[in-house]
Amino acid sequence: MSLLRPRATAAGGRTGGRDRPAPTVPGAPPTGRAAWARDLVMGIRFAAGSGREGWIRTALTATGVALGVAVLLLGASVPGVLDTLHGREKARENLGQAHPPRAADDTLRYASADTVFHGAPIRGRLVRPDGAHPPVPPGVDRLPGPGRMLVSPALKKLLDSPRAGLLRQRLDYRVAGTIGDAGLLGPGELTYVAQPVTLAAADGYRIDHFGKDWNPPPMRAPTVLLVIMTCVALLTPVMVFIGTSVRFGNERRERRLAAIRLVGADVRTTRRIAAGEVLFGSLLGLVAGGALFLAGRQLAPVVTLWDVNVFPSDVAPGPLAAALIAVLVPAAAVLVTLFAQRGVTVEPLGVVRHRPPVRRRLWWRVALPAVGALVLVPLSRERPWTDTPLHTLGLATGAMLLLLGVTTLLPWLVQAVVGRLHRGPVSWQLAIRRLQLSSGSATRAVSGITVAVAGAIAIHMLMTGMQASYTRAYAESGKEPRISLWANSKDWPQTQRALTALRATPGVTAARGTVDALVGPLPHPPGRPEDAARTTVTVGSCAELRSLARLDSCHDGSVFVTTTRREGAVAPGATLDLNPPRDAYEAVRPHPWTVPRTARTVPLLAHRPSPDRVVYDLLVTPSALDVGRLNGPTTELKVVFDRGTPDAVEHIRNTAARIDPTMNEVSAVDNPHDAQYASVLDGLFAGAVVTLLLIGSGLIISTVEQLHERRRLLSTLDAHGTRRATLGWSVLWQTAVPVVLGLGLALGTGLALGALVLTMIDSAVTVNWPVVAAITGIGGAVILFVTALSLPPLWRMMRPDGLRTE
Amino acid sequence: MTPEGSLLAAEGLCKTYGATPALDGVEFSVHPGEVVAVMGPSGSGKSTLLHCLAGIVRPDAGTVRYGPHELTALSDARRSALRRTDFGFVFQFGQLVPELTGLENVALPLRLNGTRRKEAERQAREWLERLEVDGAAAQRPGEISGGQGQRIAVARALVTGPRVIFADEPTGALDSLNGERVLGLLTGAARDTNAAVVLVTHEARVAAYSDREIVVRDGTVKDILAGLR
Repeated sequence: MSLLRPRATAAGGRTGGRDRPAPTVPGAPPTGRAAWARDLVMGIRFAAGSGREGWIRTALTATGVALGVAVLLLGASVPGVLDTLHGREKARENLGQAHPPRAADDTLRYASADTVFHGAPIRGRLVRPDGAHPPVPPGVDRLPGPGRMLVSPALKKLLDSPRAGLLRQRLDYRVAGTIGDAGLLGPGELTYVAQPVTLAAADGYRIDHFGKDWNPPPMRAPTVLLVIMTCVALLTPVMVFIGTSVRFGNERRERRLAAIRLVGADVRTTRRIAAGEVLFGSLLGLVAGGALFLAGRQLAPVVTLWDVNVFPSDVAPGPLAAALIAVLVPAAAVLVTLFAQRGVTVEPLGVVRHRPPVRRRLWWRVALPAVGALVLVPLSRERPWTDTPLHTLGLATGAMLLLLGVTTLLPWLVQAVVGRLHRGPVSWQLAIRRLQLSSGSATRAVSGITVAVAGAIAIHMLMTGMQASYTRAYAESGKEPRISLWANSKDWPQTQRALTALRATPGVTAARGTVDALVGPLPHPPGRPEDAARTTVTVGSCAELRSLARLDSCHDGSVFVTTTRREGAVAPGATLDLNPPRDAYEAVRPHPWTVPRTARTVPLLAHRPSPDRVVYDLLVTPSALDVGRLNGPTTELKVVFDRGTPDAVEHIRNTAARIDPTMNEVSAVDNPHDAQYASVLDGLFAGAVVTLLLIGSGLIISTVEQLHERRRLLSTLDAHGTRRATLGWSVLWQTAVPVVLGLGLALGTGLALGALVLTMIDSAVTVNWPVVAAITGIGGAVILFVTALSLPPLWRMMRPDGLRTE
Repeated sequence: MTPEGSLLAAEGLCKTYGATPALDGVEFSVHPGEVVAVMGPSGSGKSTLLHCLAGIVRPDAGTVRYGPHELTALSDARRSALRRTDFGFVFQFGQLVPELTGLENVALPLRLNGTRRKEAERQAREWLERLEVDGAAAQRPGEISGGQGQRIAVARALVTGPRVIFADEPTGALDSLNGERVLGLLTGAARDTNAAVVLVTHEARVAAYSDREIVVRDGTVKDILAGLR
């Protein structure tokens, strides 16, 4: 019996025997979707079934892709988060309802009672229903009764804490329940809705519904830039890491692909199989990235940025963005793999043909950052800066090109520098020769560090610049410990009582107060009615008025005209309307009043410029003018306090709340941005450390791979008596040279980008050198980290086993 | 000029690696069903000759004709297709794909050629049974002996019904008993299907399985030792 079976007629076997027809050259291998599917599946099979090495590569690829997916999903969630925040704010608010309704069964009076406690802003809203069926804001089933309040869970927690004694005194309502998530911007928001026993008709607004028709402003260009730069600074290292991880275990993979080539696979088939291998890791990474994002967003409640704190469920990308990420990231990983294979050809004998070494040209490598700079420089001269879509696009594009430009410049820089390095000890020679021969893989990994460090420096400068304006304002106004308060005024005695209460408050060293209002000429000038009210009238006792102007003599009943040079300033004998309309919707009767001809002209005291400075046109003592005739008069109070008195500020706020819970505060006593700035800096550092560790891992992979490829050489060197330290130092130099060059490039690029962007947003260019040094220092620490972890495999590969042949 | 009736013929083959000539004007031909042993010392160029004949390596000069076609003029894709359908390979270390089982390794050329998985595995299983190595069907190359690995490699070379089988030191890594067994199976199968075998070896006992022997020395074919046995 023949050993062999009769020839099958299936695709794999043709009719055989002695009468075989003349050979014909078969057609091209199967192509199209079927071939792609078959080869990708085969690649996946290899990735899943190629033992420890394959799984390490798959795990590394999956890690890189997972980080990329998570970062992108987070970046893509930013617009959604802002939309949701604005949506929540719109849904629960209606301060200043257009066309105020008349009191009815379904209306209520609504006022703001915001306050601050130890630097934490607390949103307060006061309500007083006009009837039995008032509207309720989201998250609230029923409005609190008189003397009660509904609080957010975070505020409840704060009120229950022992350190909130003064706050409990201020919010002197009984807690009747909590506000649901629908009524909050985020889980950490401090807010309450209270019904004070008395809420005067003049306080707040009458509304018949919640939900304000208000379009939020678009994201500011610096914020867009911040998001984009963060994504680029995080994603580039991730892409670099993916690029490095797909090269892990290349030797074994190339052997496998060569074996497949031998049995008839063409180059395209092997590339598709290699792509399939990466696709497997990418798909795992996609799932892991999704899980990482879902797990990571649970941390959203603990992050507060620019007063924004959000619910985990609000951190969600749009479906289109999520779909694009799900498709593009794995596709990018596959493209990176195919790109990495462009220089090699896997032949049936396992021969890998490298492309001849190409001299790296500067002209096109400098093009990317140059175009970026060309886009940014004209924008930096734009005065004043405006957030047009074109400007934002230019800013984002320029910053991205400049950041990505370092990845094209670095290989040239490394090649140019190492080409000029020659003399040195043996370890230095070994490292430099190796880099001269092939600096590609080291440079590739280092380019990730470069982008991360450049991005971190630029982001830090941008944040410092944005913060600097706050810091300057607070530093200036905070020199004098002072709080300004203002509220609706009913009459002068009310202001007097407020001043008395404030002066009796612990820590208060001085308190001044007046009643201010806007008045207009009669008859009204042509134009919009609300434009008529442009003259400021200030009512106060002689003592209060003397704190504003130089008065030679003053008694109750005196009137003074100030020497302001404003257009339309009043003169003695002029007739004014004390009740001018404040907006186009307000229909009010004029309240004529004539400035007494006996009014004297007095100069205002020179004040330092300050954000709350008011220009006074007319100073009037209480007997000379009935405050009740003014339209919307406000009590303006200025309180100076002693910083040494514990909790003086909180005591003042408590007094203010007792005088009028709707009283507003303008102060520089605590800069809420400081803590947030610190938390952002911490985040930036954490991000930089994680990114650099990731790149460090990539560097370790490429270093160990390179050592593995040269294990025979290492064994030979060992056999010749080369000391371990020499080879250890050579690994250090080999890592250090590209990293140091990369960090130098990153420093230059980061500082240039930061300076350009800060100039653009009219902010002073400030560099926090210790932070810059720390960020670059972390990059330097990566060198030692990589070297230290590369040493054990180096010692292992120096063993004489490496000299053994088959 | 191609010898009459030859299946595969080379004329004036030249190949250098750097400054070292591996082949220097080699003439070669093999007929259907013929087993030709290519002998020679280490570094003589015999493996390079096999690689050129199989279309794995392009010669610097000369031609390789396969039937009416000039192999050296074909694209990589066409030559790859030939390796899938008309050529079979057995190497010293099997060159099996370490991640695939024995069965999957044998089915691989059929799968690459578009045969459906079930059919490819059915044919592969038949070959494994005939080569008495079906016990290793579910095992990976790292889990089987060298002799089993070579028999799987032979099965993989034969599964597509090739016209030419290229064997480069197929028994170099085997003990004599296993070597004999593999050679017997390989040459028997080739003769049974009228397939030509180009057998590169430096061992005389291996060359004894051939119909004709040639010796390559310093890149040229020096002598033809025997005619048809």
